[in-house]
Amino acid sequence: MKRIDAVIRPSKLDEVKESLSAAGVTGLTVFEVKGYGRQKGHTELYRGTEYTVDFQPKVLISVLVVDDLLEAAVKAISDSARTGRIGDGKIFISSLEDVIRIRTSERGREAI
Amino acid sequence: MRNVTHTYPRPWFLKIAISVLLVSATIGPMIVAFADEPQPDPAGISTGDKGTTFDAAGNAFVVTEPTDKTAPDYAKNKKAFDEFQAQAAKEPLVIKLADNVGHLRIATNFTWTLLTGYLVLFMQAGFALLTCGLVRKKNAGHLMMLNFAAYVFAFLAYWVCGFAFQYGGAAINAAPTNLGGTPTLNHFLLGGGLWGFLGGRGFMLSGPGYDAGVLCLTLFEVVFMETAAYIIVGAICERISFWAFLLCELFIGGLLYPSFGCWVWGGGWLSQLGQTMGLAHGYVDFAGSTVVHGVGGFCAMALSVILGPRLGKYGPDGKARAFPAHNLVYVVTGTFILLFGWMGFNPGSTLGSSDLRVSVIAVNTNLSACAGAASAMFLWYFIFGKPDITMACNGMLAGLVAITAPCAFVTPSSAVMIGILAGIVVDLGVLFNERVIHVDDPCGAISVHGYAGWLGAVCVGIFADGAYGAGWNGVGVSSYLGKAGQGVTGLLYGDYTQFFTQVGGATFMAIYVFGFTYLVFSLVNVFRPLRVPKEVELEGLDVPEFGLPAYPEDELVAAEAAGSLARA
Repeated sequence: MKRIDAVIRPSKLDEVKESLSAAGVTGLTVFEVKGYGRQKGHTELYRGTEYTVDFQPKVLISVLVVDDLLEAAVKAISDSARTGRIGDGKIFISSLEDVIRIRTSERGREAI
Repeated sequence: MRNVTHTYPRPWFLKIAISVLLVSATIGPMIVAFADEPQPDPAGISTGDKGTTFDAAGNAFVVTEPTDKTAPDYAKNKKAFDEFQAQAAKEPLVIKLADNVGHLRIATNFTWTLLTGYLVLFMQAGFALLTCGLVRKKNAGHLMMLNFAAYVFAFLAYWVCGFAFQYGGAAINAAPTNLGGTPTLNHFLLGGGLWGFLGGRGFMLSGPGYDAGVLCLTLFEVVFMETAAYIIVGAICERISFWAFLLCELFIGGLLYPSFGCWVWGGGWLSQLGQTMGLAHGYVDFAGSTVVHGVGGFCAMALSVILGPRLGKYGPDGKARAFPAHNLVYVVTGTFILLFGWMGFNPGSTLGSSDLRVSVIAVNTNLSACAGAASAMFLWYFIFGKPDITMACNGMLAGLVAITAPCAFVTPSSAVMIGILAGIVVDLGVLFNERVIHVDDPCGAISVHGYAGWLGAVCVGIFADGAYGAGWNGVGVSSYLGKAGQGVTGLLYGDYTQFFTQVGGATFMAIYVFGFTYLVFSLVNVFRPLRVPKEVELEGLDVPEFGLPAYPEDELVAAEAAGSLARA
């Protein structure tokens, strides 16, 4: 079982959600986050005083998949989130120790 | 779980002060009018009669008997008086009608004055929104509470003694004829005659103060005082403790504002400089560029200097840091509400719509507002490349502040000019305060109200064209500068003295207000710091001072509270 965390543009959330659904991934968690990568922050002015805007608003999507579905899910996210401009985001894959459904106490593959 | 890090002082002097207030509130209403003085008219049944009937040009219906037998036109006036008496005896019904008309005129003016007063009251909401939007989210509740408490406590101080200090002697040199003259306000506590310093009638609005005409004036003037009272919030917010703020409000409502207000509007010495020292029409301020806004702005400046800048505002290199506004929607909405309320502020200052100049005043006010916003916006764009929304709003307000003194005396084109100047002044003022003298002013109150207020008074001395204000402050009743009916005149129309009087008076206001405030509150600061502790300021004042964040759903605190309710 794998956990996929993807930092994407907020404007791409709907598209990514649709394509993940089409790829067979059920369930996802969404976080509103801020972050930056290699793109530098920029300065703005408020009443004549400079302030730096380092962090860009992003969305972090977290989905759980069985190993067979991993590549399909990654492709779904990448294709739908890509615009070609700096700031498209990143996908992180990690191994999942275990997953439990709270309502029924199921564990493992049945709980995904 | 937050610990209560900041508690209120409950010292003995607070208990005594509250006791004194309660005792005087009980005794106050028992003060009755003195027998040999003009009697107050609490039911309004003897205010307004043929004596208050005038035509459009201001000529009285009733011809009064000339008293000065040595005057050159005595014979002519005596003849006119005798003819009137004879005519009145022959047509008693006309005299009765004149009584009705006079009453109706006063009634119309009461409506006008009260309704425009309510508009000014609504400006409280505008300023609350404006200032709340300009500060950080963690202080939103604090800003709202400051604006709210300002209205409440300054009003009470004005009731106790503020109104009496400001207008207690109004009938002597500045009787509001549009409201029936308020004859019971006829005594100066300090000074007398043409050199009045503090009024002495109408304490607790009792006795001579319990009069329909007086209370109409009170309602109108209290909301003007409230405007000065809330202006300080814009500069001292995000770091002033609530108890210190209440003290500021009592000071402004009870003493600072009424004192200067007495000198300019209550028939006091500044307004009478024309008669006492030949200084044109004396110091002129139609609706309060200096009396209201200048006083608020420079009081704010003194307090801001004592408090010091917000934590983190200036870096170790002395460079300013930005604390962006948390809600621009409030800022613009607040500005529009203030603009709307100003339609009461300026035109209302005639104290009566029987004075048809009100339309000119209303248009001048709007023109200056728009010119101020446009000029501030364009200047900012040329300097920084983007028009800052908050500076555009400050520009509109500066235009409004600057036209407040001259609005009745200038042409519409002059109003535009004044607005343009105000926009420039506020832009440069904000940069000056922040970058040069390092006085932290979160909402630009010092620039919008202090600097632009000074400008407004000076603009009377530049742009006033003499079309209105004949006999202002008792000067030039029959003629001025060689012309009959010539009113308040400025530099561009030939009156140099008025210009110097305005500059002198406005500058004096700045020094007096800043100095008096600085003196009193530096002293208070020695006994107990006006500023909140560092931890409180960093956390935001909403919870430590008032126990409730403005936006609880942003914080886990409220989520916990909601959870425990669900459990029970």
